[in-house]
Amino acid sequence: MATTDLTKQATGTNGKPRLTNKDLNTIWLRWAFTHLASMSYEKLQGHAYAWSYIPFANKYYADDPEAKRRLLVRHSVFFNTEPQTGQIINGIVTSLEENIALGGEVSEEMPNNIKATLMGPLAGIGDSIIQGIIVPTLLSIGMSLANGGSPLGPLFYIVAYGIIGPVISFISYRTGYKLGVGAIDVIVGESARRIMDAFNVLGIMVVGALAAGNIALTTTLNIPFGEEWQPLQTTLDGVFPALLPLIAVLATWWMLGKKQFSPTKVIVILTIAISVLCLLGVF
Amino acid sequence: MNLALLFPALMCGVFCYLGAIESCCLFGMSWGYYVMGRPLVAGLLCGLVFGDVAQGVLCGVAVQAVFIANLSTGGATNSEITYASYGGIGLAMATTKDPAIAVTLSVLIGQTLGLIFYNTRMALYSFFNNGASRAAENNDDRGITLWHIVYPQVCTFFIRAVPVFLIVFFGQGVVDALLNNVPEVVTHIISVLGGVLPALGIGMLMNIVIKDKMQLIFFLAGFVLLSFAGLSMVAIVFIAALVAYLVFLSSGKSSAEPVAEAAAQADAHAVYEDEDLF
Repeated sequence: MATTDLTKQATGTNGKPRLTNKDLNTIWLRWAFTHLASMSYEKLQGHAYAWSYIPFANKYYADDPEAKRRLLVRHSVFFNTEPQTGQIINGIVTSLEENIALGGEVSEEMPNNIKATLMGPLAGIGDSIIQGIIVPTLLSIGMSLANGGSPLGPLFYIVAYGIIGPVISFISYRTGYKLGVGAIDVIVGESARRIMDAFNVLGIMVVGALAAGNIALTTTLNIPFGEEWQPLQTTLDGVFPALLPLIAVLATWWMLGKKQFSPTKVIVILTIAISVLCLLGVF
Repeated sequence: MNLALLFPALMCGVFCYLGAIESCCLFGMSWGYYVMGRPLVAGLLCGLVFGDVAQGVLCGVAVQAVFIANLSTGGATNSEITYASYGGIGLAMATTKDPAIAVTLSVLIGQTLGLIFYNTRMALYSFFNNGASRAAENNDDRGITLWHIVYPQVCTFFIRAVPVFLIVFFGQGVVDALLNNVPEVVTHIISVLGGVLPALGIGMLMNIVIKDKMQLIFFLAGFVLLSFAGLSMVAIVFIAALVAYLVFLSSGKSSAEPVAEAAAQADAHAVYEDEDLF
C-alpha cells in the first residue's frame, strides 16, 4: 500500500519534504490549546482543526491556494471528542493529510470520514477514563490531603493532573500519527474492543464507588419501633447503607438514559422533587 | 463599598475566565477546565488572593464534594463548575468564609446564573463559527485566527470575568439577605439539593459507561465496596482493575473460539474414551 511506502521515504512522490518533529509539535500544541476556543453547540471543536492546520497548509500548499482552501474548508466541520485522548484522531488526521500533501493515495474525503467514525468511540472511552476515573480519584486523594485547610491537597491535584493531562495528550497524538490508518484497527479492532470493554468495567465500578461516596441524602422521618419512635435512617443504615443515594442516582440515570431527558430538565425535576419532599419533612 | 475587595474580586473574575472550559490559555482543558476550574484548586487560589489560605482550602474542599462528578459531554453539562467555583467560593471568602455558605452560594450560582450564561453562550457562538467558516472559504489565515480565537475569547473573558467580579464585589448584601431574611427551609432545601446534585453527574457517567443492563452489577459492586465495606477510592480503583483484568481474560473466549474449544473438548473426550478401552 502506498501509505506504508511513503512513511519510509524522506520526500513524497511530488518531491515535497515530510513533516518535521517541529511541525508535528506545532499541530499538537495548536489543537491542545484551542480545541474549544470557539465552542458552540453547532460546531464544538470543529474550527480548531482548520486553525491547527494553517502552518501545515502554508508549508505544502503555498503555491496551490485551491488545495489550501479545500484543506481549510474540510476541517471546518462539526467535531467533538474527549480532547486529550482524542489527540489520537488528530494524529491520524496529520498522517493522512501528510500523505495527501505528498501525493499519496489517500483521498481527500478520508480525514473527515476518520474523524466522524472515531470521535464517538473515543469520546466514550476518553470521558469515562478521564472524567469518570482519573479526575475524581485524584480529587478524592487531594481532598483527603487538604485536611484542616492544608494547601497540600490542592497542590497535589495541580501537579498530578497538570502532568497526566498533557502526557496523555502527547502520547495519544504521537501514537495516532505513527500508526496512521493502522490506528483504526487499534481503536475499533477486536483486541481493542476487549481492552476497552475491560476499561469500561473498571469505569463502571469506580463510578459506583463515586456514587456511594459523594451523594449525601438522609431522611429525617421517624418510624414506630415497639413503644418508641426511632429515626428511619438508623434502620436503613442497618439494612443497606447509602440506600437513598443509590435510589437517587438510579432514578437520575433512568431519567437521562431511558427517558432521554436533558441534564437541565433533570436539574429542574430534582429541584422540584427535593423542595416538595423537604416541605413534607421527608429530608 | 469596600475598596480592599477590588483586587481579590478582579482576580476571581480573571480566574473564572482562565478555568473556563472554552478558555485557550492553559493547555486547553488540561490545565484550565480540569485544574483551574476545579473547586478544590479554586479554594486555594481564592484563599491566596483573600489572604486566608486555610479557610479558602476548607471552602474549596466543601464545594468540591458537591461538584466531584461534574461532567461535560458533547457540550452538555450538569452544572457550570467555573462560575460556581469562583463566584461561590469568592463571595463566601469576601463575606463569612464559612464553607457551608460557600456550598450554598456555589450551588445557587452554578445551577442558575452559570447554566444560563453557559447555554446562551453555546447557542450564540455559532455566529463566530460562521465567521470562521467564511474565512476558511476565502483562504484567510488571519480571519480564522480572529473568528476562532480572538473574538470568542475576548467575549468569553467579559462573559466570565464581569459577572463574577460583580458577584464578589457587590454580593455582600445577597449573603446578608440569605443569612437573615431567607427562611430556614429554603437554605435547608439548597443544602439537601447540594447533597443530591452529584447524582446528576454520576447519572451522566453511567449513561456513557453502562452499555447493557447486566453491567449494573459492576456498578452495585463498586457501590457496596464503599458503602458497606468502607474502602477508600484508591483501594477500589485497584479492586476494579483486578475485576477488569478478569473480564479481559474471560472475553478472549468469545465469538469464534467456543466452536474450536468444543471440538478440542470433544477430542479430549474421545482420547479419554479410547484410553478407557484399554
